[in-house]
Amino acid sequence: MKRRKVVLGFLGTQLDAGRAGNRWERWRPTVDLCRQDDFVVDRLVLFMEPQHTHLADEVIADLRSVSPETEVVRTELGITDPWDFEQVFSRLMDCAQRMKFEPEKEDYFVHISTGTHVAQICLFLLTEARYFPGKLLQTSPPRGRAGKGHPGSAQVIDLDLSRYDRLASRFEKERKTAQAHLKAGIATKSVAYNQTIERIGEVATASSAPILLLGPTGSGKSQLAKRIYEVKKERRRLSGPFVEVNCATLRGDAAMSTLFGHAKGAFTGALAAREGLLRRADGGALFLDEIGELGADEPAMLLRAIEEKVFYPMGQDREVKSDFELLCGTNKELPKLATQGKFRPDLLARIDLWTFRLPPLSERREDLPPNLDFELDEASRLFRRQVTMSREARAAYLVFAASEDATWPGNFRDLNASVTRMATLAPGGRITEPVVTDEIARLCAAFSAGDEASGGPREGRVDRVLGARRARALDLFDRAQLEEVLRVCTRERSLSAAGRVLFAESRKSRTSTNDADRLRKYLARFELTYEETR
Amino acid sequence: MSADMLEIDGSYGEGGGQVLRSALTLSLVTGTPFRITKIRAGRGRPGLLRQHLTCVKASCEISGADADGAELGSQTLTFRPSGPASARGGSYTFAVGSAGRTSLVLATVMLPLLLASGESVVRLEGGTHNPLAPPYEFLVEVLFPRLHELGFRIGATFERAGFFPAGGGSFTVTLGSGALLEPRAASWLTRGELTLSGAVVLANVGDRIGGREKIALAASLGIDRDAVTIKEVPSPGPGNAVMARATRNGLTHELVTAFGERGKTSETVAEDAAAQMKKYLASTAPIGEHLADQLLVPLALAKGGTFLTHVKSMHLTTNAWVLSRFLGDVVTFADEGNTTRVEVRPRP
Repeated sequence: MKRRKVVLGFLGTQLDAGRAGNRWERWRPTVDLCRQDDFVVDRLVLFMEPQHTHLADEVIADLRSVSPETEVVRTELGITDPWDFEQVFSRLMDCAQRMKFEPEKEDYFVHISTGTHVAQICLFLLTEARYFPGKLLQTSPPRGRAGKGHPGSAQVIDLDLSRYDRLASRFEKERKTAQAHLKAGIATKSVAYNQTIERIGEVATASSAPILLLGPTGSGKSQLAKRIYEVKKERRRLSGPFVEVNCATLRGDAAMSTLFGHAKGAFTGALAAREGLLRRADGGALFLDEIGELGADEPAMLLRAIEEKVFYPMGQDREVKSDFELLCGTNKELPKLATQGKFRPDLLARIDLWTFRLPPLSERREDLPPNLDFELDEASRLFRRQVTMSREARAAYLVFAASEDATWPGNFRDLNASVTRMATLAPGGRITEPVVTDEIARLCAAFSAGDEASGGPREGRVDRVLGARRARALDLFDRAQLEEVLRVCTRERSLSAAGRVLFAESRKSRTSTNDADRLRKYLARFELTYEETR
Repeated sequence: MSADMLEIDGSYGEGGGQVLRSALTLSLVTGTPFRITKIRAGRGRPGLLRQHLTCVKASCEISGADADGAELGSQTLTFRPSGPASARGGSYTFAVGSAGRTSLVLATVMLPLLLASGESVVRLEGGTHNPLAPPYEFLVEVLFPRLHELGFRIGATFERAGFFPAGGGSFTVTLGSGALLEPRAASWLTRGELTLSGAVVLANVGDRIGGREKIALAASLGIDRDAVTIKEVPSPGPGNAVMARATRNGLTHELVTAFGERGKTSETVAEDAAAQMKKYLASTAPIGEHLADQLLVPLALAKGGTFLTHVKSMHLTTNAWVLSRFLGDVVTFADEGNTTRVEVRPRP
């Protein structure tokens, strides 16, 4: 069964009207819509009012003549003022809700070339909102040589923009450029990371809501925030500057004044008025890094500034306006801080709308090669000379970088520092294998030191041997010493052997050689025996 | 799909609706199903248009045939008649939208109905006077008399004129049934001395136009003004046509038409008609360009015949090609001086 074409549209009280005799020379949208060679209307639902009955009769008679296939249904909407948006919209909406649509059998088209502009706008809105489950239909008069009496043309406007090849490819291109920009041109391979970036791209272009970037130190939150701002700016959503502040650096009066500004004389030392970062970010974006470090007073003011776009500078009773888009960064679990009362839950709710987690470098090992290239390019720019790596050097470096030993606790900051160091030491800008070997040793030391200092991912020997509770009772001084002693004990075959290593220097000068006894006594201070260290 | 399904390239020759219409006619008469592809390929709006669909639907209606792909824009159509000579005589109404050419719908169903058992009354509604198809006067004055000569019985009653763009015209055609009346092979090779006359057709336009066209046509053809009639016809819209005809012994050999439109002077319209007539008169052939291509199928379905025409048009050769697909090589062309001799053998 062939699908029927149903058109809904207004009787055009101007355009569909014919002046005596010459109506067939005029383009009349409703009549000419039904004269198309390649579009046959099976049913025409004609919106009209009683005062236009005469015109409707004429149009319907003409339709019968030019389009015997078309059944015309007169529909009175009860519109008294066709320029009254509210009335037209509600009458059309009533009509849409009353009508029985059978989309499985019929295709619907909403003709927008007749009616007031208000009517056209309402038809568009109701069609886009699917109250009228159809496509927009536009008719246009004949052009050029087609001449009088020609029915012009009818075009279906599909609101699904992805159906238009040229528009679709344009959107795709825009999307790709936004993503490439967010990734700083680094061809990252990590699926999770790429998905995150894709989503950030969508949100950055479509929304002005706050964005929260979660990630460990050095995972690139700050750089990403800058690029999100650039994408927003590119899409003309922002005209103001990018203002960045690390909340961990804000303390006391200075914190309030840095963020919100102050009036002259607001506090001791406030010799001149200060604008404040929020005000400076007007029309742009404010990036609050380490937002978990915000003090006690700022969040309340900040919340109001975000929600109402106004705030009071210190010592000033006049509100200041600033309309900025907020970007936040943190490495803290804000929900946990909020439950512990260390972060305002209402502020969290406000900024935790679009939260993106940036994975640490150790979870993005497949992205090491492109990021290494990126860092080499950066180094070239910094040193103003080409910085390259020999093939062997690059291979050796990447093997280490991707290994379990490379924990990259500082993430991209570590990688950046590492490449900068190698570039500095590279003879003639060429990073060779010896340079890489040295660098790997340096990184190993740094990573393991980092482990111990932070209690790190590797469980300390002290903890293991003494138990966490007793280990916590130790001073760092003792703990560091014991850790190294335990390391040697584990490595050496016996108490004596361990003692010899540990007291090697004093053995050279002293007569007493009872190293084993010294070690046993040392361990006894911690209520340990040599066996227990193993 | 049945093995004897005929495959037809819709883009052949003239490449428009004509291939489709002739194929429908021949399929209904012979019972041969066909599939036509590349319908109107390469045109601005390829595939079936509204007027073509009307022809397909009319063909199905008179015969109970089956059509796949009968949709606007479709470039492929499969048509399966329910059998040979499956058209049934009866009363039919075909309404053609958009001031469409009723004569083309008639051309599609005419022969199947003429060959059907039982008489038919076909009412046609839509355009009767359209620049792109023979007007009503051509049908009754030029085509039908030739069909009578072949033994077919056909006549028409005029009701209203339908001009572009308003349409809304109508006329009724009565078609005799089955057996031909005194069937004979045609031989239309000479035309003898012709008498020229003219007709101005007016619908809802000023009288002055008719007067001016009458004077101009008479002058252009070099005939007496009294030989040009002015005919006011009922029609829902405005319309104007100027016709010139060439007759001998009561038979109109040729009738040409020019249409009036806004911005075109009455004199230009009249001269346009006269120029077409002069082109016909310049040769010695009795059968005019438009009649020629419409005669091929009737001749092949009756007792055949031979005629001379002055233009070997694309429509003529295209129609001959469609005939050859259904009936084998029944048409031969031979150039004779400034005319073309067309021989049509009756279907085997």
